[in-house]
Amino acid sequence: TNTYHLSFHVQAEMLDFLLFGALISAVDPVAVLAVFEEVHVNETLFIIVFGESLVNDAVTVVLYKVYISFVEVGAENVQTADYFKGVASFLIVSIGGTMVGLIFAVILGFITRFTKKVRIIEPLLVFLMVYLAYLTAELFSLSAILSMTFCGIGANKYVEANISQKSRTTVKYTMKTLASIAETIIFIFLGISAVDKSKWAWDTGLVSCTLVFIFIFRAVGVVGQTWVLNRFRLVPLEKIDQVVMSYGGLRGAVAFALVVLLDGEQVKAKDYFVATTIVVVFFTVMFQGLTIKPLVKWLKVPRATNRKPTINEEIHERAFDHILTAVEDIAGLQGYHHWRDKWEQFDKNYLSKLLLRKSVYRKSELWEAYQKINIRDAISVIDQGGNVLTSARLSLPSMASRASFPEVTNVTNYLRENGSGVCLDLQVIDNIPGAKVEEDMETHHVLAGNLYKPRRRYQSHYSRHFMPLGEQERQDREVFQRNMRSRMETFKSTRYKRHKKERSLKKVRRIKLQVTSPPTSSCDSLSLCSDPVVVPVETEDKAEHSDPEKDEDVGITFIARKAETPKQRPKSGCQIPLLPPPPPAPPSPPPASSSPTSEDSHLPWKGSLGSPPPCVSLEATKIIPVDLQQAWNQSISSLESISSPPAPAEPVHPRVSALSRLGGPRPASYTPPGSAAGSTFSIGPQVSQGSFLFPDKKKEEEEEEEDVEGEWLRRCSRSCLP
Amino acid sequence: MGALQSLPGRPEYSDLAEKTGFSFEQIGVLHKRFKQLSHNEETLRRDHFNEIHDLAFNPIRAQIIEAFFDRRNFHQDGEGKVQEIGFEEFVVVMSHFRPPSDHMTEEQREKTRREKLRFLFNMHDTDNDGTITLEEYRHVVEELLSRSGTLEKETAKCIADAAMLEVASISVGHMEPDEFYEGITFEHFLKLLDGFEIESRMTIRFLNMDTTTLCK
Repeated sequence: TNTYHLSFHVQAEMLDFLLFGALISAVDPVAVLAVFEEVHVNETLFIIVFGESLVNDAVTVVLYKVYISFVEVGAENVQTADYFKGVASFLIVSIGGTMVGLIFAVILGFITRFTKKVRIIEPLLVFLMVYLAYLTAELFSLSAILSMTFCGIGANKYVEANISQKSRTTVKYTMKTLASIAETIIFIFLGISAVDKSKWAWDTGLVSCTLVFIFIFRAVGVVGQTWVLNRFRLVPLEKIDQVVMSYGGLRGAVAFALVVLLDGEQVKAKDYFVATTIVVVFFTVMFQGLTIKPLVKWLKVPRATNRKPTINEEIHERAFDHILTAVEDIAGLQGYHHWRDKWEQFDKNYLSKLLLRKSVYRKSELWEAYQKINIRDAISVIDQGGNVLTSARLSLPSMASRASFPEVTNVTNYLRENGSGVCLDLQVIDNIPGAKVEEDMETHHVLAGNLYKPRRRYQSHYSRHFMPLGEQERQDREVFQRNMRSRMETFKSTRYKRHKKERSLKKVRRIKLQVTSPPTSSCDSLSLCSDPVVVPVETEDKAEHSDPEKDEDVGITFIARKAETPKQRPKSGCQIPLLPPPPPAPPSPPPASSSPTSEDSHLPWKGSLGSPPPCVSLEATKIIPVDLQQAWNQSISSLESISSPPAPAEPVHPRVSALSRLGGPRPASYTPPGSAAGSTFSIGPQVSQGSFLFPDKKKEEEEEEEDVEGEWLRRCSRSCLP
Repeated sequence: MGALQSLPGRPEYSDLAEKTGFSFEQIGVLHKRFKQLSHNEETLRRDHFNEIHDLAFNPIRAQIIEAFFDRRNFHQDGEGKVQEIGFEEFVVVMSHFRPPSDHMTEEQREKTRREKLRFLFNMHDTDNDGTITLEEYRHVVEELLSRSGTLEKETAKCIADAAMLEVASISVGHMEPDEFYEGITFEHFLKLLDGFEIESRMTIRFLNMDTTTLCK
């Protein structure tokens, strides 16, 4: 083979140049990442360039090794067969590396499935397994970089779902730090080498030609490949995309590292190559890196939308996937969606079952997305900090914020639209407390509604194996529930006649406040405390109550959740059944319930009726239309959190306590209809009285508790059956 | 691909091609598929669709099948449902999923976009009243999520409710206390999915048909 002489200095052969070409053409993922993150181009472009650089790393290394082995053997000794072997080895090395990575991904996913009790070692596990993937690939002389990359890619979905939020954060930031350190060190080394003359030799021709050529040939390569790709793409890659892709090919640390590793004996032109590489890296990173941002702006490249998808968009995303798959199946195509669907089926039925923790497996993505959106909204509500009053009224950031605090919100109407079973808090209507009480109530109401449960200050364990549920997570959940509650309120839809509105408005103000009772230690009252929910909901109804005959819209509202005693735990899934209204009564059985508490007697409106705070039992919850139960339950659980319970009498099932936050059972406050206690669901007379029904005496209730539970169980199971 | 050359009734295809924008080849392929699905009868019925094995696991199978029998999708301003469809209607419905051709004016693009969205809208709006009510939307969400199997109805309802809230806020903005949000009208729907790239999302490449499927 010929030797090429460039400026009489560089002595290099074809093979050497091939080697050099392999290492200099690789796009560096780090540089690309840094620049593109800065620039925020649209996702497609980012993925293309970043993906290329990621795989490039491996390709470069593999090619490099292949060529090095050729060089070692000597160009003369390379036979044709060896070229084929080279290609074959390239394929084996890359695919082999990928497989190793995927195997470790599966192992990692599987292990993290069981780390619930040992959360603290999760990040360590992640690092170690990935490193193990690297080492294993190295052991078999496969592509270690590809192995690590694909281990990460494959395991991402499962590990992310399995490990705790803290572990996720830890892994993320540790990796970033490590990567940062490594990159910095390499660039330091680069800088030092640049200055240390003994390490390189300058050749103008080589350097300048290289600079020009890498740019030109990259562009050629991009254009050519895009042309091929566009035949298969639905959304073709535009010229602008291609420009960005070519321009965004920054060389970086990998090229430098590889060139320095060359053996000076075998590759005589090493020093020249080193010099060239240094210049190339400097040039691309600095010049191209700095100018790409203005270029992107100038070319008006479509930028990334940072807008998080709305719920509707998420729903439709999924809808589209299914629709397209269906149409493909109908048309008999085995298109992209078909295969993707098949993969998802496989994943869902086998992989996820194997690798995901059971509790995670059950949640659907949409629900997760929905929760995330809510939490995010809630947090942003909090961040808006300042005005406590208005923040309570904000639901979706996109929603116009409601005017004033006491404005009536109409979940009532919304609920009404959905039919039946509503309950009224009739008692409240007739009792109008004095102004002072009102004021206190209002203050309390505002405070309770908008502040969070005070944090406990103690710091807990330092156990290596135990990590308690963080305050943050609790708070997040609380925020979420609150937000959900306010969100429900702000959904306005009503068929309610206007003329009732004025009346109800007036009553609203008063009533709303009335309803709140101070957080008494007895559970029950909590239902009414702090409920922007309850109150407004009831308002509309109030006015109606005066006309019991007109039950076109019987109001609703309900809140309450009965103490979930352990016995009822198995039924907790069943809390939702809709109780059919008892035959004699018009379709809105009032809530029965609450146990009387002495504390409530001081509240004037309660005094006359002698007892129970208008707390509603679980039964009441059942009266809410089934469809809103979930939302409702969330709302009320947040309500419950407001009032602090007494020391729990017995430990409550964690799930239950998570819902109700209060822990501790409460006396059953439900009386089945027609029971001897005399509280019935009959609305008629009571309605007109404006009182609501609840068992007369606490004692009687408790006597009946057993019976109640049984009765409740029966009802529950009956209604639970589809 | 020799089989495609000898398709019967080539001249019929020309008005179909014009109407729907498919090429002759594509129509030919679709015709084959139609014959295959209908067991060489003239019309397709719902039970023919039910025989498609792959479709069985699709959560919105029912809606898609209904969409084929929905007169509103036939571009003839009809309403209501039919019991069986001929090849022409089959192709017309399929044409909703055609990829946009390269040389389309802005107007044409807009038109295609509207058509596709209209198709979607019709799919959701099962009672033909022009709006997607809460009930219908809930149904959609439930169907979508039913595949995961473990999601309860309440959660689905919850999500649907929140989605409705969002639509209300996007389309109507601030609502008066006594306003009633009837449902999503087509205009609102357009606005809602404004950010969506319908052209690429709702397209299928018709030419890449697997001949083995056709031979099944």
